[in-house]
Amino acid sequence: MRSEPEETKRYILLASFLLIVILIGLFTDGIKETFTSFMTIQTISGRLIQDFTTISIGGALLNAAIVAIIGMALVFFSSVTLAGPTIAAIFTMFGFGLFGKTALNISFIILGVFIASKIANKSFGAYSLIALFGTALGPVVTYVMFDLHLPLLVSIPSAILSGIVIGVILPSIAGVMLSLHQGYNLYNIGFSCGFMGLFISSFFHASRQMSPITITWNSEVHWQLHIIIPLISIMSILFGFITSKQSIIKSIKEVKGLQSLVGRLPTDFFDLVESETPFINMGVLGLLSYGYVNVVGGNINGPMIAGIATVMGFGSFGKSVKNSYPLVVGVILATLLFGKSLNAPGPMLAALFSTTLAPIAGQFGPIIGIIAGMIHLIVVESSAAWHGGFDLYNNGFAGGLSATLVISIIHWYQSNKKDEDFNNET
Amino acid sequence: MKRREFLNILIAEVSNFLLEGNPLRLVISLHQESDGAHLSFFDDKKRDEGELMKIRNALNPRHSRPELAGYYGLMAGHDTSWSARLKLIGWQIKRATVSNTDSGIQIDIWLGSDAFNPADFTIDKEKK
Repeated sequence: MRSEPEETKRYILLASFLLIVILIGLFTDGIKETFTSFMTIQTISGRLIQDFTTISIGGALLNAAIVAIIGMALVFFSSVTLAGPTIAAIFTMFGFGLFGKTALNISFIILGVFIASKIANKSFGAYSLIALFGTALGPVVTYVMFDLHLPLLVSIPSAILSGIVIGVILPSIAGVMLSLHQGYNLYNIGFSCGFMGLFISSFFHASRQMSPITITWNSEVHWQLHIIIPLISIMSILFGFITSKQSIIKSIKEVKGLQSLVGRLPTDFFDLVESETPFINMGVLGLLSYGYVNVVGGNINGPMIAGIATVMGFGSFGKSVKNSYPLVVGVILATLLFGKSLNAPGPMLAALFSTTLAPIAGQFGPIIGIIAGMIHLIVVESSAAWHGGFDLYNNGFAGGLSATLVISIIHWYQSNKKDEDFNNET
Repeated sequence: MKRREFLNILIAEVSNFLLEGNPLRLVISLHQESDGAHLSFFDDKKRDEGELMKIRNALNPRHSRPELAGYYGLMAGHDTSWSARLKLIGWQIKRATVSNTDSGIQIDIWLGSDAFNPADFTIDKEKK
């Protein structure tokens, strides 16, 4: 357990976000309905795509806040720094608490990762990021618990066991997956969970227990959902300026400096500046993402808030406007090329989550970034079916595949340049 | 196995960094004890003070980051045909010193378990 002064302020900011979200939920649906629907949400498998806001705004927001609070508690008690990677993880957990993660289904995976850390004789802090992001496979737990229609005496222990087994296996896979794309896919645990999801899905198919993927998508306009992203974005920007204790000009210069970074894993923006200016970058990314969704006529619902919150979170851990926009342009071009609608769920989510490949654009330039974005859309439209929708970070899975492809080709080309070899001429 | 793997990735990442300077000579020296190890790297390329400071900062991070060391540190030493990233090992070691010798750079790295005893090694008292 640790907390330095600047970290304490960050905890206060995140806690304020979550408190506001809970209050919005309670204000919308009232205490009784909020808690009743929160309990209902715990019994939903949450495989892609189940928008919890279709059940109740209040219940979905309460669930998202509690999932994020579990993440914050994990960071606090495992003695790791609340900085770029952990803030990214907490924002991501909050977002996916609106479509897939529940307080119930994430707990057993975290327990599994904890057991893995003991097996590997490491501190839990060393595996904390795997535990936080690994909750992407939470739907497996609730699927086994409620969707297989087994007697509860069988389904509950089976679900708990499946979550623990996933958590124990995940650290071994995560490291291998990192070396495939060499840190160019920011959502590496999404890639790892997708890989595991292939086997989990195959198991359910083999045992004839696999039900088809369905999409529940809230297309109604709810002002309560609309205000969340602008509110936390503006709060982030103000927090960044005020707590940095330096001139506004200097803070703006620092944010401009962040734009020149490649963003390859692991680039913690808080390590590169002496102030809290990464929060400004996060807020700007949040507002731009929100603006994009509205411009193309997308819905602001659970999945979209998750997409934007994830982009914001990684605004302190690899993403900037400069390295993110080429991916979005690539997704837009591919969407139009294949005659899809820009405001359909798939392309909308892909546009936001494609920024998982931001380091590729940061390293190799906007053209390669656009190409990577186009490849990403093509892959992500199919990849959810491969893992049965169990991996909530489907874009991380598709991004990992796309990054591995792009990086392999570039790597091969650069490694075989003539001037890289010994001179053959005497 | 764990110790051998760790030494392997550490040697690979630092060697990769030094080989980027295309040295004509590179020497790696290892001294192991039961609770830790000392690695020395020497090459024939002198660096200016700014470069030395960058290397020192990468190898001696300001804060302990177990969450980065235990997970992203796994990338160290795996891809040795691209630019080296010394910070990946900086989170995983006890201490590093960097200096110019008469002929080139010298990087000393100490690593070990929680029981690591600096007295067993030639680590400078003021640099501990």
